[in-house]
Amino acid sequence: MEILNVNDIRKTYTSRFGAQQVQALKGVTFSVEKGEYVAIMGESGSGKTTLLNILAALDKPTGGKVILDGMELSGIKESELAVFRRNNLGFVFQEFNLLDTFSLKDNILLPLVLGGEMKLAEMTGRLNEIASRLGISEILNKYPYEVSGGQKQRAAVARALITDPKLILADEPTGALDSRSSSDLLQMFSQINRNGQTILMVTHSVDAASHAGRVLFIRDGVVFHQIYRGDCSNEQLYRKISDTLTLLRTGGDKQ
Amino acid sequence: MKTGYAAKIAFNNIRKNYRFYIPHVLTGTGLQACFYIMLTLSMDKRLSQVKGGSVLPFFMTVGAAVMALLSVMLIFYTNSFLMKQRKREFGLYNVLGMEKRHIGRILFFETLYSAAASIILGLLLGVLFYKLCSLFICRLFQTDIVLGFYFIKANTLIPAAMSFIVLYFLTYIFNRISISRMKPVELLKSGASGEKEPRTKWIMLIAGIISLGAGYYQSLSIKDPLSALTWFFIAVFLVIIGTYFLFTAGSIFVLKALKKNSRFYYHAERMTAVSGLIYRMKQNAVGLASIAILATGVLIMISSTVSLYSGMQGTLDNTYAQHMYITADYVDENGETVLIPAEDMEGMIRNVSDKYSCKVLAVEEQEYFDAVYVMNGCDFELVSDQSASTDLSGLCDIYFITADMYEDLTGTRIALEDNEIAICRISSSIGHTKTPDKAVTIGGRGFIVKEHLVYFPISAGMGNVVTCYGAVLPNNEIMDAVFADQQIAYGKDASHYYHRTAVTFEDIETVSKNGDDIQESLYRNIADYALEHNARNGECSTRVDSVWEAKENILGMYGALLFLGILLGLVCIFATVLIIYYKQISEGYEDRERFQIMKKIGMSDAETRKTIRTQSLFIFFLPLIVAGIHTLFAFPILNRMMQLMMLSSTGLYIICSVITYIVFAIIYLLIYRATSKTYYKIVRL
Repeated sequence: MEILNVNDIRKTYTSRFGAQQVQALKGVTFSVEKGEYVAIMGESGSGKTTLLNILAALDKPTGGKVILDGMELSGIKESELAVFRRNNLGFVFQEFNLLDTFSLKDNILLPLVLGGEMKLAEMTGRLNEIASRLGISEILNKYPYEVSGGQKQRAAVARALITDPKLILADEPTGALDSRSSSDLLQMFSQINRNGQTILMVTHSVDAASHAGRVLFIRDGVVFHQIYRGDCSNEQLYRKISDTLTLLRTGGDKQ
Repeated sequence: MKTGYAAKIAFNNIRKNYRFYIPHVLTGTGLQACFYIMLTLSMDKRLSQVKGGSVLPFFMTVGAAVMALLSVMLIFYTNSFLMKQRKREFGLYNVLGMEKRHIGRILFFETLYSAAASIILGLLLGVLFYKLCSLFICRLFQTDIVLGFYFIKANTLIPAAMSFIVLYFLTYIFNRISISRMKPVELLKSGASGEKEPRTKWIMLIAGIISLGAGYYQSLSIKDPLSALTWFFIAVFLVIIGTYFLFTAGSIFVLKALKKNSRFYYHAERMTAVSGLIYRMKQNAVGLASIAILATGVLIMISSTVSLYSGMQGTLDNTYAQHMYITADYVDENGETVLIPAEDMEGMIRNVSDKYSCKVLAVEEQEYFDAVYVMNGCDFELVSDQSASTDLSGLCDIYFITADMYEDLTGTRIALEDNEIAICRISSSIGHTKTPDKAVTIGGRGFIVKEHLVYFPISAGMGNVVTCYGAVLPNNEIMDAVFADQQIAYGKDASHYYHRTAVTFEDIETVSKNGDDIQESLYRNIADYALEHNARNGECSTRVDSVWEAKENILGMYGALLFLGILLGLVCIFATVLIIYYKQISEGYEDRERFQIMKKIGMSDAETRKTIRTQSLFIFFLPLIVAGIHTLFAFPILNRMMQLMMLSSTGLYIICSVITYIVFAIIYLLIYRATSKTYYKIVRL
């Protein structure tokens, strides 16, 4: 079943006085099946972040459509966007974006509390289940500044998962982590994905991308190439991605 | 680095940081203007010569001193705020290769520009408003406006400017030192590291409760006005300490308790508001406590001075039962003091009054004496060593007249046996024990209370803080005996008989206008009379106490107080505005990141606004409510102090306080709305 359909997305930025126009996305088209784990790769300036912002409904495309689970994002009213994001999307950011003023527990609960529909008992039930799955039950009462980067990112993942979102959007989730924490996190992502969670991850780390089921390459605002994992192991996929990147850099024009 | 370059950078910095610099300059301008006005008022000879103006130099000198203190505090406050916000910028300069002395040079020019702007603008405003203020004071003194005030005067302009130049130079030195101490890498990072959740400071919490409680208790328990005056400042000090401690520790204690209550806490708006508030209180408790204290200061100052001023007529009516009292005697050729006979006195008074076409309603001859006793249940005791105690609560002043005198003055006869007495409580201090109703002893002599009088024909006059009684004694013998008792007990401090002529006029307004002339004319008549009666060396002594003279004095004093109250009140309101403004923008920058994260994880703009409103309302109302409570608790002690200043109407004081509070709340609300806009702008960027 198709959960996300991105159709010919364009985004043009106009400078303040309209003198210059920059095309960040020139027509991106792809779709994601339910339960898929997709990585989007690209260098800085390739349009990854713009694409992610559009998928997260934080930004509007200049043209094209994004359909999430049968709903078109541009059709959602401005006032309902926040609720839509809260109910359907989970976010994991490079900089964690945990609130300093909340303990990890409160940070994780925040989306549910903002939703305001769930009973406290149910909220804590979900919290405990996810926390034990991610191995952060022991540190729930600590504050973000008291724990390591890896632990912060786990808390951020827990926050993304607690609303049971249709899609998790991860923006360079390993970007601020050391290699050990990175590999822990990637294994966690794989495990979450095996449990049926759809994940869309933007990254430029080959290691991170090699855990995904499919890798999309973006260059100059278009989807340039994609690789399916097929029966490959992580290592084999890693090599494939590397080769593709080399090819991209040396200026191949394969489509 | 060339000096010109530093000057240019400094100019650009001020322009870029206009959000911080404009209030800084405005503060300096306002304070400079007020300081100049106060200083000039204290030295303005023409103004001190108007009716009632003689007290001005003293009050305005006090005012100028208070202004100087406020100026130091406020300018250092805005300066420290400015520096805190810009540390990062300076750190960056340092990292980019600018030496600290270069930064110092830039800072020097920044200080120079803002100081020059503040001082010049301030003096201009001061000069402009000086005229207005002096007109206002004339209005308060209810005198004719003296024309031709010089309002530019180098002898106050220069000292006023110099004091501020020194003040700004001090801020520069202070900043220079803090720059030389900074470590650039730390500065660049400042603000990026997470903050610890504040802990409940138990000791501070308990100290705050005790201190505040003690302050309140003093206000509630002090009974007599004189000790109210001494204890007032101690109470103020305790309440200020208590306020700071409780804002710091108490608020966090309460918020943490709310946070612990899961059912309350896990709610869309409350959760973000409560946890945000915990951090806000940590940083802003001192600012909020300052607002609460300043607000209390404004409320107390304005309401008490306004009620003193507007209650003046009542005060005069209470203390002057008649309009003018004259006592005159001369020494005859045999060296004996001779009192001018009542008929002769009345003749002279009527004579003078006719000359000024003022109609005299009544001329009465009053003979009485008063003595101080310590009241102990039903016993009024003579205690010779009164100075040993400052506690006035037991002290009372009794005015004695005979039954004959009472009949003369009121037309009513009270038939009294030798051991009987009639008593009237003329005035009382709050909490004074009740008047004995059956029997009393006065200096050891026992009397049966025959009657309680509502009206006593001799008024106690100005300046009485203790409870005053009037007593009607049966006859002259008893009166002399009571008089002798106190003479023995008090020796040379004993009081003597008063013989005075009390005059009541028909139209006191017109009489007051010619008051000085009438008095002058009376003095001359009495002097002539003494000469005619062969006074030794033609000497005579005349004392005139008139209601218009009292009014002039009281107008001068209360008018000056009211002016001070209003001006200092305005400065305090200005300081409040400043603190709120700076708080809003500094919080805006801190909260911005937080709200951006919340937006990313799905908080709508509407919800953001709601959270901000919840937090802001709490922070907004807290100082206002605290100021209200403080004012309420300050009421008893202030009311007692007002009695010391002769204001007897509690009702008027309550009305003035309530009106002041409402006006203040409205001003506060307007200020808050205006500064909130800036806050939203910053958060939404």
